[in-house]
Amino acid sequence: MNHVLFVALRMLFQRKRQTLVSVLGVSMGVSAFVVMSSLMLGFQNYFIQQVIDLEPHIKIKPKIEKSTQEPYTILLGEQPEEKDRILGWQDIMENLEKHQEVLGVAPRLVSKGITKYGVRDKPVTLLGIDPKREPKASIIDRFLVNKNLQRLETNRTGVIVGALVARSLGIDQLGKKLLLVAPNGQSLLVTVEDFFESGITNIDDARVYINIKTLQSLLERQGEVNEIVLKIRDVNRAERLSREFQAFVSYEVESWQRAYRNFLSIFKIQNTITYMIVFAILTVSAFGIFNIIMMTVLEKKRDIAILMAMGYSRKDVLLIFMMEGFVIGFMGALIGSLVGFGLQEYLESIRLDVEGLIRTRGFVLDRDPMLYVYALFFSMFFALMASLYPSYRASRLNPVDIFRSQ
Amino acid sequence: MSLIELKGIKKWVGQEQILKGIDFTVQKGEFVAVVGASGSGKSSLLYIMGLLDKPSEGDVFFEGEKVDFSNERGLSELRNKKIGFVFQFHYLLPEFNLLENVMLPAIKLGMKREEAMERAYELLKSLGLEGKEKRRIYQISGGEMQRVAIARALINNPSIILADEPTGNLDSKNTQIVMEIFKEINKGGATFVMVTHELHLAEQAQRVVEIKDGMVLSDKVIQGV
Repeated sequence: MNHVLFVALRMLFQRKRQTLVSVLGVSMGVSAFVVMSSLMLGFQNYFIQQVIDLEPHIKIKPKIEKSTQEPYTILLGEQPEEKDRILGWQDIMENLEKHQEVLGVAPRLVSKGITKYGVRDKPVTLLGIDPKREPKASIIDRFLVNKNLQRLETNRTGVIVGALVARSLGIDQLGKKLLLVAPNGQSLLVTVEDFFESGITNIDDARVYINIKTLQSLLERQGEVNEIVLKIRDVNRAERLSREFQAFVSYEVESWQRAYRNFLSIFKIQNTITYMIVFAILTVSAFGIFNIIMMTVLEKKRDIAILMAMGYSRKDVLLIFMMEGFVIGFMGALIGSLVGFGLQEYLESIRLDVEGLIRTRGFVLDRDPMLYVYALFFSMFFALMASLYPSYRASRLNPVDIFRSQ
Repeated sequence: MSLIELKGIKKWVGQEQILKGIDFTVQKGEFVAVVGASGSGKSSLLYIMGLLDKPSEGDVFFEGEKVDFSNERGLSELRNKKIGFVFQFHYLLPEFNLLENVMLPAIKLGMKREEAMERAYELLKSLGLEGKEKRRIYQISGGEMQRVAIARALINNPSIILADEPTGNLDSKNTQIVMEIFKEINKGGATFVMVTHELHLAEQAQRVVEIKDGMVLSDKVIQGV
């Protein structure tokens, strides 16, 4: 192997410019992979983590989808629409609490409503929660600016307003009074007890938390709930557990994965697009490597012939050129990783307000070291694949034909 | 014992028959010149003797053993350990300096780099290239390049050195220098087979084999050499 390395390295480093171009091509692909994956996964993981912490892992709610295509609906007509409530919710909760995988269960009453503050108004989702039980089923506390969840218990007309709702209404202080208007036309003057800031735009821009009893009273639905929310030990088992619970609950049981399936699908598409771009960059760099090694093989036919005359075998020749591809891939991965690391550091240091699907101060990056391992693997794979054919061509040259042609 | 023995060697390239049944033996320590006109088949014969090409028909025996041309690895090993080549063109690798060019076969053989370097130094010194070891090939003359190629052929102490028109590109002064080197090495016990079309050079060998139209026309021992 010593002789292969000796020849390969020397051939490679004597053509500094071409080698540098190849290495830069690979390093561009690697750094693009590291940075783009880091940004994309950082954003996705942040979103998913916030959703997991904030939202119930499993939600039980009345079935609202009607199927008019079922044969019995055609024959017998549509079933009466199910009312937006869960009957026997206390029993359901009691049963679910006994399950060893369930950490906490809480009831909710959810309704649309309008908030009015001065001349401004904004449609919102009103979430009636039990302030004592809710923290067992979601990590709501973490997202409260002033950690005043229990104020909903002491002040029944207190509300916790989403940060973007507050911004839309022009509220920036606690204690402000705003008017809640329910769909039944009833209204209630409430006091802002806290702000709720999850970083997820569509949540912060829509939610108002209120004591469940107050909301029941406002909606004239005393004792009713229309959601039971659960927190479980292992979030990844939510879908499986939801199917298990569905067997004994007649209402719809929905895991967080299903509730956010649109986002998760978008993430999959996003990942596919990103990896396709990286694949394209690496493919271009692979063609660069292919081109350079192929050119070397064609230029060095005479040298290959003399190496064979000296006793270098076809396998040695194959390995010499494969080694060149390997070295280009490895150096490209090394430089690309360093550049990627530098770019990650730079992006992490930028403090700008990012506002889109999520709101953060600066970029959220995934700094998983495995990204570098994958980058190394992919770049080596592409480099070796690119050098395979030229190396094979080199190893199949007939030295006698070359000597004769001189 | 003969070093190389060729029995009934025939070679076709496409439709053309280049060698038409050659029987030829080289004894250890001999200096054989193979002469013939251009296209007579002398280089093809040399490539077969050097195990770079395989005959269409016939057998090659190396140190008494029949050569298996289907065993490419075995052929490479034999070439590396037992055969040294010198060509009309030096075929030095431009990426390497003179010393490294000479070291290449030794490193393939598995010799340690320091040992190969030491041996390459000695060879270059003995061929009058002391002090030029680190030079690149474009920094030396054609005669010097050919001497480096000879050093490269010698580094693994081969049983035989095959030279294909080794002076074809040299002026008369360098030609004589190279011939003197060959004779000197031959005196040390090395076996030489040199292909040339120049009779005055062939006459400096111990034996001259003339090839014509792919056949051995004559095989003479030169008296008084």
